[in-house]
Amino acid sequence: MAFSKKKEYRAIGIPYFFCRFAGVIINFYNLHPLLQAKMKQNSLKGICEEIIYSNFFKSHAKALRNYLFYKYGNEEQAEDVTQEAFIKLWENCASVPLEKAKSFLYTVANNTTLNQIAHQKVVLEYTKKNPVSGTDKQSPEFLMEEDQFKVKLQKAIANLTEAQRTAFLLHRIDGKKYHEIAEILGISVKAVEKRLHGALNELRKEIDNIR
Amino acid sequence: MKDDTMLAKWLNNELDAKELEAFMSTPEFATYNKIKEYSAQLTAPEADMDALYARISANKNKPAQKVRTLNPWISRIAAMLVIALGATYFLYINKTTTQLAENGQRTEFLLPDNSSVTLNAGSEADYKTWNWKNNRKLQLDGEAYFKAAKGKTFDVVTAMGKVTVVGTQFNVKARDNRFDVTCFEGKVRVTSNGKAVLLTPGKSITFENGKMQTSEDKKTQPGWLTYEVVYSNEKLTSVINEIERQYSVDVELTVQHPEKLSAFTGYIPMNNLNNALESITTAYNLKSQKTGNKIILSVE
Repeated sequence: MAFSKKKEYRAIGIPYFFCRFAGVIINFYNLHPLLQAKMKQNSLKGICEEIIYSNFFKSHAKALRNYLFYKYGNEEQAEDVTQEAFIKLWENCASVPLEKAKSFLYTVANNTTLNQIAHQKVVLEYTKKNPVSGTDKQSPEFLMEEDQFKVKLQKAIANLTEAQRTAFLLHRIDGKKYHEIAEILGISVKAVEKRLHGALNELRKEIDNIR
Repeated sequence: MKDDTMLAKWLNNELDAKELEAFMSTPEFATYNKIKEYSAQLTAPEADMDALYARISANKNKPAQKVRTLNPWISRIAAMLVIALGATYFLYINKTTTQLAENGQRTEFLLPDNSSVTLNAGSEADYKTWNWKNNRKLQLDGEAYFKAAKGKTFDVVTAMGKVTVVGTQFNVKARDNRFDVTCFEGKVRVTSNGKAVLLTPGKSITFENGKMQTSEDKKTQPGWLTYEVVYSNEKLTSVINEIERQYSVDVELTVQHPEKLSAFTGYIPMNNLNNALESITTAYNLKSQKTGNKIILSVE
């Protein structure tokens, strides 16, 4: 007579669960900060090297900070987030190759949820040097009209949505090309064009008082 | 489509001559042109990038703060302890007790809540003692008589169906694709192949090959406990198998088509081999030959 054969299944179950327990413990150990530090020492290529890191900073920090200023309207917050992003880059330098560093930087910056100060109006100044365009012919009335226009423009820009404002200013002030803006904002070129079109449209409507 | 990106294309000098001319003749063009011109004169506020870099340098070179230096040996020992404890606990919870009754024997044992189980010859019962009061489940292969103590539901699981009771006395037989349950006291709920039946004392149910049959049993406990087994419509081969188990012998039935023989209804004593064999031989016109532990039944 054959009796129950279920005992065999237990032989599989026990080692399986044993290994899973062991795996969890080992994973914990691998994420130990000491081990991470060792990994960083071992890859002194790329961003982990001080010189490369500082050159990278020189090339990209200002642009990032400007973008963040257009986004938040607050200088201090823009600098804080820039600082945070660069520090994160340093902490992860062992796993971020140089080619991916810029994209990493902007991803971190865009996803930061530091104590966000409530959105503030973006205040921009005009450069002192005005491009000369036949200034001789300009009467005082003309100049006053232009000044009024410029003030209206500043106000109108401050009233744009964050999406439109950042795209617009990246193009007008920093002179970024559309594909560069697309990369910074993480959207398509087509989306950039739509935002710019929308921005211009809104600006005109506000300046010409058509609502 | 062009309507929501046209201005952007203009701003980028991507309009062709014709489109440009058309745009320039619109009244809004003047405003747009001024927007384009003056917005280019805007600047972002000045930033002291050197100071920013200095702050970053200071912050990034403080790894000692963020890294807790823990003695690695402590981690290792802790890890080993956790694994050992986890494994031990897991083994303890899953420990299954097995009770056996060999051929020619019967085994009686108590469950942790003092329920009693009597195993008939050639049967096996498996159960987990851990948390028994809350999980009274027993797996049965063969035949057993149960006296379940009152408490939470008591389940007997067999390959052919399940019996659920709450404090009663009942018999379960699960052999060779035939599932018999008899209730002697209390209420018994039997499920098999999607069918469910509730038995009251004196009632018995048989499931075989998808068919279900009820019958009565006036006794107060199963016959096999007192070595008198009553069969109703049982296959002859099943009866012979039981004889093999009870007496611990080997019986060979040399008949052309044993499955064509009619089913056996009657009484077989399980404490007198010769009488038992005689019941069979008389009913089916066979003769029996015994050599040591082996018996051969053949046509007369």
